[in-house]
Amino acid sequence: MTETEQLTVGEMLLRHGISRRGFIKFCTATASAMALPPWMGSAMAEQLRNAARPSVVYLSFQECTGCFESMTRSFAPTIENLIFNTISLDYSDTLMAASGEAAEAARAKAMQDNFGKYVLVVDGSVPTGAAGAYCTAGGRSAVDTLREAAKGATAIVCVGTCSAFGGIPFADPNPTDAWPVSAIVGDKPIINVSGCPPIPEVITGTLLQFVSTGQVPDLDEHRRPKAFFGNTIHDRCYRRPFYDQGKFAKTFDDEGARNGWCLYELGCKGPTTYNACATLKWNGGTSFPIESGHGCIGCSEPGFWDKGSFYSALSSAAWGKAGEVAPRQILEIAAGTAAVGGVLGAASAGVSRLRQHGSEQQRTDNTP
Amino acid sequence: MSRLAGIPVRIEGPALAGGPAPSARPAPSGGLGDGVAAILTEIVTLLERLARGQNPAAIDLRSLPMSREDRTELQRVLGEGEVTATVAAQGVSIIRETRISGLWWVEHRDSRGDLIAELLEVARIPEILVTAFDEIAASARTLREHMRNR
Repeated sequence: MTETEQLTVGEMLLRHGISRRGFIKFCTATASAMALPPWMGSAMAEQLRNAARPSVVYLSFQECTGCFESMTRSFAPTIENLIFNTISLDYSDTLMAASGEAAEAARAKAMQDNFGKYVLVVDGSVPTGAAGAYCTAGGRSAVDTLREAAKGATAIVCVGTCSAFGGIPFADPNPTDAWPVSAIVGDKPIINVSGCPPIPEVITGTLLQFVSTGQVPDLDEHRRPKAFFGNTIHDRCYRRPFYDQGKFAKTFDDEGARNGWCLYELGCKGPTTYNACATLKWNGGTSFPIESGHGCIGCSEPGFWDKGSFYSALSSAAWGKAGEVAPRQILEIAAGTAAVGGVLGAASAGVSRLRQHGSEQQRTDNTP
Repeated sequence: MSRLAGIPVRIEGPALAGGPAPSARPAPSGGLGDGVAAILTEIVTLLERLARGQNPAAIDLRSLPMSREDRTELQRVLGEGEVTATVAAQGVSIIRETRISGLWWVEHRDSRGDLIAELLEVARIPEILVTAFDEIAASARTLREHMRNR
């Protein structure tokens, strides 16, 4: 074990010029983004600073590396260093300097030294067709590597819709017989951080919370952290008032589109998609797809690729699956108007927050 | 509370498109809005707890749907105290004491200057300003070594 491996998180951060105060600040911002209680920020920072860096093994299977690209671009320029200093990334075929047999040996050693303790991060689906031959590294199939790596993992974090739900490789006709991690590994806690790709802050926030508390966060029925996946995009969309007023863009270049009206009729999947895009946004909080004029394609939901056209309006059948829809309709009927505006938006946000913190009832009421 | 319809909201008519989400009821002129009143009630509870020797606490301002008017109102009520501190660590943080003893308005910005967290902390001294014992011990070691090597 090298000297670097023995350092606590705090010592490692100091070596990289990141003080305790800088770290408290990062953890406070992460806690705020995750809608955790504010004291969790400093608690996470103190807990992590004095701990040995947790070992993380990152396996990439049938994927496009978009998730990894997303993760290494989280927060301000220094923060991806911060997360990589907080964890001991013992194997990542994309980032590590070692290659070939040396890389595989590093993985075997990390898994042996930290058996039962390391966090396994997986991106990409797992092809099982042709005896797993569609995805191999070092002569071993993805499915074998996953089974072996899962044995000693304390938990598995699936980064991206491919490892969480099968994603694009899983889409019809699924030529490689690809499956999500949860279909292969049944005896370990699995945290799904879905999205194509997931929001970088959602990936780092989930990892940070897990390594600082050692606890699997509250998850929804698709095993996604409720802190980030507790609201639909529609719940928190800044165009929501236009939806409530019945103002819709009919084409991408009409008057409504230019006025920034709701994109529901252009196929926006915001009402049935749980993710944090409308609040955390992308590229350091710059914007998100709807803000750039395109509807949500629902990339953080299972089977998003096979749910019909991205440009067809959601059918009423699909609407029934969205947590907030029925209450909204009830209120509209009660108010005798569809134009309830932002007042409802604020109340809806309040309800969503309640749900994030344990009110499972809200969600299951409307889920078939 | 399992249904939105069960929450007593009053419909005030359509909000200005794209504007900030208003609180449940805007402040009537000269008085406190419901949003501000709720925050103040929470602050009083937290201050009383701290005065009894219980743990410091904080309110995450970004988690509350506050209108610009509510925010201005809150700032007006809390006022400015005697202490303002600036921390330069991964971007600037500004910690302002309010007129209320034990209540601090804390703003964290990243290295690009973007606001990444904003809190009201109820504490004798906000956590980020306190020096940790392990840092003090490490500095003492470093300084002693420096003197020995001179």
